[in-house]
Amino acid sequence: MYIYLPIAEQPIHSLVILGVGTFLGLIMGLVGVGGGFLLTPIMMFLGIPPPVAVASVANQLVAPSVSGVLSHWKRSNVDFKMGTVLLLGGIVGSSIGVILFNFLGKIGQLDFVIKSSYVIFLTLIGTLMFSESLRLILRTRKGKVTRGKLHQHNWLHGLPFKIRFRKSKLYISILLPILIGVIVGILAALMGIGGGFIIVPAMIYLLGMPTSLVVGTSLFQIIFVAANTTILQASQNQTVDIVLATILLLGSVIGVQVGSRFTNILRGEYLRLILSSIIILVSLKLLIDLVTIPSDLFSVIISR
Amino acid sequence: MKFFFHINLIFLVSILTSKTFAQNQIVADLSQENVKIATDFQGAKILLFGAYDGENGDDIIVIVTGPKGLVTVQKKEKILGVWVNTKKVNYINTPKYLSISSNRKIDDILNKKTQKISEIGLNNLKIRIQPGIKVENEKNWRQALTRNMLKSNLWSINENSVSLNRDSLFRSYLELPSNVITGQFEVKILHYRNSKLVSQQINSINVSKSGISAEIYDIAQSYSTLYGIFAVLLAVLVGWGSNLIFRKV
Repeated sequence: MYIYLPIAEQPIHSLVILGVGTFLGLIMGLVGVGGGFLLTPIMMFLGIPPPVAVASVANQLVAPSVSGVLSHWKRSNVDFKMGTVLLLGGIVGSSIGVILFNFLGKIGQLDFVIKSSYVIFLTLIGTLMFSESLRLILRTRKGKVTRGKLHQHNWLHGLPFKIRFRKSKLYISILLPILIGVIVGILAALMGIGGGFIIVPAMIYLLGMPTSLVVGTSLFQIIFVAANTTILQASQNQTVDIVLATILLLGSVIGVQVGSRFTNILRGEYLRLILSSIIILVSLKLLIDLVTIPSDLFSVIISR
Repeated sequence: MKFFFHINLIFLVSILTSKTFAQNQIVADLSQENVKIATDFQGAKILLFGAYDGENGDDIIVIVTGPKGLVTVQKKEKILGVWVNTKKVNYINTPKYLSISSNRKIDDILNKKTQKISEIGLNNLKIRIQPGIKVENEKNWRQALTRNMLKSNLWSINENSVSLNRDSLFRSYLELPSNVITGQFEVKILHYRNSKLVSQQINSINVSKSGISAEIYDIAQSYSTLYGIFAVLLAVLVGWGSNLIFRKV
């Protein structure tokens, strides 16, 4: 059934949005990342104007994140202390992001910045994740399961204002998670993502958090970053399409519930290998779009 | 005052005495004058029909013009290997919807000069570039505007789409795409005989949002922060609710 989107000002097939929402909810439930960074480009491919896509995806991300956190909480997989520190940075970051978003829209460079940000970050994270999970898989295949240190110590752990995060078994500077929160917040608002695909690897590789806590904790902070982005986008730009977001989130809460049921059954490294392959493919597609000559060098913007 | 009185008088007399005026009237109506964009809107197809006092070989041209305003054309250039929007030109007074329909090729009905004077044809529109902007190759920009508006179905040329019947009846379908802009649309029906305008009539269509989709749009504009908070609360509620449901399953 076709439904007219009041803010995007166009009709779209509701089953298509529902299906896309469900599929991405599934990925999100399984891996804890992948809601926004795939959803926003898909919405743009479906013809939703980028500002509306970005803002509405931020809105829909709230629902599967809430739902996901509740299930992870039950299994005690959330470090609320770490999550709170991260989200403080995230709220500052997403506020900066919305302002930046506004500015880029005004000078007509929003599409370009969104796409090139995707290319840079997806390539980086995708390659990192891919090689890491491949190494793990190969190591287990050989039968040499070596359990190393809990995490690597580097210069980042020498920063001041150290705090103990009991749940994560970490004693690190508070500045590091706050900084990660700010950066992820900016990108979240700018790219229409929860920031999971950046924050999850950052938690694993930079903070050294235990993998089991990473998904729940990242979902916890995504709730607040996405909520902040939604409210700011709505009040600053009037770009949140509640109809689009609601259909998407109905699909995604189902997907995320099904997905999160299997996190403890499916092997993490295999999941990450699959996801990183998708990430690399998406970034390649975006890169090709940026470097190939457009079919029409000119485009029009019709002011409403 | 006196001058106008005279003109009025002459006009009145000519109406009363002229037989040709009565004969050359064109009457038209639309199957729909108010287009409502509701939740199930996918575009609209409106039947325009009417009668005219015609002779063999007469022609009818229908021009539908939507609200006018700012349309920006952007151009991409290659910088460090990637294609980026670098230049833009603002066109003011640009119709955001335009369809020109006729019973046969417009070039066969009117010569180029008459088309230009009557502003019939996509290249004859009096669209102005925002004052103060210096533009090189203006023609390229204007062509790009036309090309992109045609591609988005907001502008269209539909020759042979007006059907004439026994030199007295005509009808035509006007199509408004789903991405149509709201506002007042002018429907101008022109009746030509040997390239000369015999009579014309102007109707109008009002396109507006209605129902839930109109209310959502209004709330998003007027109470934007509250709307945002509501959107978040709704999402939280659905997320939480789904968790309760799935726990029991």
